[in-house]
Amino acid sequence: MSLIDLTSMAEPDEEQQEKIEETLEGLKEDIPDLCYQCGKCTSGCEAFILLELEPHSIMGKSRAGFIDELVNSDEIWTCMQCFKCQERCPQDLSPVRVIFALKNLAVAAGKEIPSGYQKMLQSVLGNGLIQQPKEVLNRANETRKREDFDLPPVPEPEDMDKVQQILMKATQEKLR
Amino acid sequence: MKELGLYLGCVIPTEQYGYEMSIREVLPKFDMELVDLEESTCCGAPLRNVNMFTTMYLSARNMALCEKKGIDLYAPCPICHLGLIEAKENLEENPELKAKINSKLEEEDLRYEGTIELYHTLDLLHDEIGLDEIEDQVEEPLDDLTFAAHYGCNTIRPNDLDRPDDSENPQKLEELMEAIGIETEDYPEKLDCCGGQVISDHNESALTKAGEKIEAVQNQGLDGLSTICPWGHRMLDSKQDSAADTIGESLDLPVMYYIQLLGIAMGIDQSRLGLELNLSPVDKLEAIESIEEAE
Repeated sequence: MSLIDLTSMAEPDEEQQEKIEETLEGLKEDIPDLCYQCGKCTSGCEAFILLELEPHSIMGKSRAGFIDELVNSDEIWTCMQCFKCQERCPQDLSPVRVIFALKNLAVAAGKEIPSGYQKMLQSVLGNGLIQQPKEVLNRANETRKREDFDLPPVPEPEDMDKVQQILMKATQEKLR
Repeated sequence: MKELGLYLGCVIPTEQYGYEMSIREVLPKFDMELVDLEESTCCGAPLRNVNMFTTMYLSARNMALCEKKGIDLYAPCPICHLGLIEAKENLEENPELKAKINSKLEEEDLRYEGTIELYHTLDLLHDEIGLDEIEDQVEEPLDDLTFAAHYGCNTIRPNDLDRPDDSENPQKLEELMEAIGIETEDYPEKLDCCGGQVISDHNESALTKAGEKIEAVQNQGLDGLSTICPWGHRMLDSKQDSAADTIGESLDLPVMYYIQLLGIAMGIDQSRLGLELNLSPVDKLEAIESIEEAE
């Protein structure tokens, strides 16, 4: 769907609404249908000032069916996942969950995703964790490793190959 | 003795060693036996951004590992704790999804039922162990200190899921600090985000969030900030210098995990609490030994 569909927006299009619900992985309670654009989500959004994320506008665009535009946008990747928008929505909607769903759609459509998430995913496929054990500094600027502290080994599945195979398949699945 | 599956997630066992050390040191003194979940992985929550089915699978897998041991689960990271609770609720509401996930878990001889309780550090200390028991174990109360609390977004939000404290006016961390002699103050930025979850792709914005929060507490004239979240601690303590550079201010606010403060008040050997790894200037507090003293 693109801008041209604005012309047919005068009448509520139930079929279209259902399609949006389905596309956003059945997030029925969070679907922007009931959003009346009060902007409370954006006024409290942690990423608004620095990264110009506007949750109310994402809700508005989703409601109007501009899912493709959102999926292709950079703004969905600026969410800090603080959940304040959901907390403060007078209509009990959840912009943050809509944003998660949009990001899932971007990944499923094979869009290029920010490198941080790519690295995380690669790392999880490697040993199950989003990052590998790190050498850190102490206050005296000396290097310290996990092994220096008398801590047990980092957890890891016994059969990581099997978990990796399951994960590879899982990333192709949809939630519902 | 209460047995708990210690589910560390990713950030704690790979870099926030001080949190893990103090947990392992302090909790057994409250009759808690921590059982390692050796085969655990990422909770899946950071992958909500990529694929929510994968998130559910990983969460269910970790909970299934704990169920197999027949004990409840303790997740000291609020992001893990929220991810696991969300998965638990989703799988309860959606038997079809649960069956699909279980068919994947079967390949490893695991099964997720949804029978275990989940704890975070905050509710474990405040509600399970309790303020009275904590007060009883204090040997040297940390008097003459005034601290503020950093809860971490996912500790208190969203309130449609079971969180350890109130979403708009959390007070449990303050009460825990008062139980060991520390005075507390609220500050306007208390509920604000540290930026931690966008650090990898929006480094400067994330550090600005952290820097502004530290600056607010510092300008209020407080002695320090107490954390219960490894992502928040990483931003506010481990990266405090970078945050200061980013916002162009000089920051020197001691930031400590609450459980480190508790350990100190209980008279535990400070070298066992990982205090050398706090990169904020914690040794300007009188109760904290400098690195040389600890050695």
